[in-house]
Amino acid sequence: MHSENMILKHPLSVRIFHYLLVISFIPLALTGLILFFKPFSEGAMNLTMRIHIAAGILLTFDALSFFIIGYKRVVLFLSRVFSVSGNDFKWFAVLGGYPQKLLLHKKIPVPPMGKYNSGQKLFGVCVFIGGVILIFTGLALWAFPHNLPHGTVALLGYLHTIAAWTLTLFLCVHVFLGIYMFDDFKAMFLHGKIPYEEAQEMAPLWVEKEIIAINKK
Amino acid sequence: MNVTAKTYQKGEIPGVIAIDASECKGCDACKRHCPTGAIQGMFGSTHSIDVDLCLSCGQCLINCPFGAPYETSDAVDAVMDKLKDKGTTVVGIIAPAVRVAIGEEFGMPVGSLVTGKLYSAMKKAGIEIFDNNFTADLTIMEEGSEFILRARHAVFGEKGENGEPIGPLPQFTSCCPAWVRFVETQCPSLIPHLSSAKSPQQMAGSVAKTYGAKVWGKPAEKIYAVGIMPCTAKKFEASRPEFKSAYEYQEHTNKTHNESYPDVDVVLTTRDLARLFKKMKIDLAKEQDYTPEILFAEYSGAGTIFGNTGGVMEAAVRTAYAVITGNELTDVEFKPVRGLKGVKSASVTLKDSKYNKEVTVNLAVVHGIARNLKPVIDQVLAGTSPYHFIEVMNCPGGCINGGGQPIQKTGSSWVDAIRPWFAWK
Amino acid sequence: MSNQDYQYIENPLHVTRREFITITGIVAAFMALPAIWIRSLASSNNDYIKARTKNLYMDDVKSKIRVSHANKSVARYYKEFGVKPLSHLSEELLHTKYINRTKALS
Repeated sequence: MHSENMILKHPLSVRIFHYLLVISFIPLALTGLILFFKPFSEGAMNLTMRIHIAAGILLTFDALSFFIIGYKRVVLFLSRVFSVSGNDFKWFAVLGGYPQKLLLHKKIPVPPMGKYNSGQKLFGVCVFIGGVILIFTGLALWAFPHNLPHGTVALLGYLHTIAAWTLTLFLCVHVFLGIYMFDDFKAMFLHGKIPYEEAQEMAPLWVEKEIIAINKK
Repeated sequence: MNVTAKTYQKGEIPGVIAIDASECKGCDACKRHCPTGAIQGMFGSTHSIDVDLCLSCGQCLINCPFGAPYETSDAVDAVMDKLKDKGTTVVGIIAPAVRVAIGEEFGMPVGSLVTGKLYSAMKKAGIEIFDNNFTADLTIMEEGSEFILRARHAVFGEKGENGEPIGPLPQFTSCCPAWVRFVETQCPSLIPHLSSAKSPQQMAGSVAKTYGAKVWGKPAEKIYAVGIMPCTAKKFEASRPEFKSAYEYQEHTNKTHNESYPDVDVVLTTRDLARLFKKMKIDLAKEQDYTPEILFAEYSGAGTIFGNTGGVMEAAVRTAYAVITGNELTDVEFKPVRGLKGVKSASVTLKDSKYNKEVTVNLAVVHGIARNLKPVIDQVLAGTSPYHFIEVMNCPGGCINGGGQPIQKTGSSWVDAIRPWFAWK
Repeated sequence: MSNQDYQYIENPLHVTRREFITITGIVAAFMALPAIWIRSLASSNNDYIKARTKNLYMDDVKSKIRVSHANKSVARYYKEFGVKPLSHLSEELLHTKYINRTKALS
């Protein structure tokens, strides 16, 4: 705790939701890749499928319960990720300054961002839409492939695969940058707080418009 | 096929259907349609077919969302070669179900009745027309007479003319080769109950190479009989080594010593025939209706409904009623045996004119044997079946939904209520 | 100073009752639409079977002769060749025997 001023960025409900997301989605992605490439023997593939389904049920439960318990957070999140402005295109033009920071160790000016930068907003949109697709198609593929017209099942299979590959590849970027920005990593996985200065630099519009001071003790 | 198959005679095709492991996702949809549990492989792993359990019915093939099962036996090129051979008469035996489905392969609406166009396309291809509906009528004469004999024997003690042993009731139909193989592999004690009549396809082969040889004026060994069927199990049936009755008849009638030939040489599914037409650049949808003059294309309405579940039973009732009572049915449409219900039953009370007594005949119709057959045959095995005549068709809906029919992407063979099935192993 | 201390929070979101109902309504609609679509697809999955069945029965209705024993060609076959149903020749050509495949086959 090197600064006196901390902002509560991720309350407990959000952190729990994210923990459950991590322990369900990572097995889903790994088992999904195994199911796609089919490298193992019969018994191992069956175990893989069982893990995939169990993790899928956990993910569905996590999403549903967060929607009910953390309703306001969900509304906030969605309203943030689905808002687009000119700044977003400018941000993508420089890729948020990350390649320059990582490879050239150079800091370049980036357009001012809200709580989520443009890349995070894009990831949020993908997660929301992709997640809904994966959950619905996953359920249909597991429980109803014999009832539904098989052309439809094939289509649902394609959607499942496309959404899964998109999210899995994008997830790699998310994990990398999420650990690289170590303050944010601590916020999401430990205590939920980020230093005021950090927030002011990375998310100036958020600090300006949406942060209020509270009086404690 | 490197399979050690235990339930196949020499000469039979083991494993008409196989699964392509690279397409299979292990979703288990096929297992839910398989009547014998022949599909091996745990949920999530690639599946394969145990040929000793498999009936070759093809339900897995037409229901797999990913197109993983495929047919291992393809006779299109063989037939095209024979068509080029001027000395060979290629005879096409067309099943009832083909005429309401082959149009779909040429862009026509689902279920279009295209008999005239099919005849015309066959004529263009050089295939001699032999409508299996004609043989369906013949099957009713033979199987109906057999049923009447068994029934009169059971009720009145009547004996057959040849002094042969008379089979027990209930009598099962035997035109479905998947059902016949089911009896032979799973409950052989029911074999005496099966009608001794051959299926219409096999009767057609025998007739084409004996009576047909006379009608067409061609030698029997130069007739190449091609079954055109909605069914992949017919490929297995045609390969059964005992089906060379025409050859044996010709041998002892003409006292010749020729090489053996089967009654039905090869079988093309509806899909195969469509492919053959396309290879020969024949567009069935554009053909004009053609009515052939040959006697082998004359059929009754009773023969044509063989393709539907309940159709064989309805056709049998129309004739059996007339033979037993001496009077024709006023309304030939026998609705209780129609429809997609798994097991349909009906009772017909009529007066046997030969013995002047009233009898009640209890009929049952089973289709989609994967889900509906067990209670019916359990009753028969226990001796408590209330039925006298049972029609069995392997495929849900009957032959019109057979394993060889055009694959409809908007459909599935599941005729029961929608219910989830949570596979785990 | 405990580790849980923080000096700033986000401005809490106030959702009015009307907004809540609107949002829930939109979400319910988004969930219901695919569910209805899937259900209608699943209940029409046998339509192709019913279409083929119906047209085959139409072939029967259109036929001039609707009973097998009135088929003149079948009668001609019997007269010229087969003699009659269940005759010796019929047994030879048109009837068969079955095999118990649970016993060892050659």
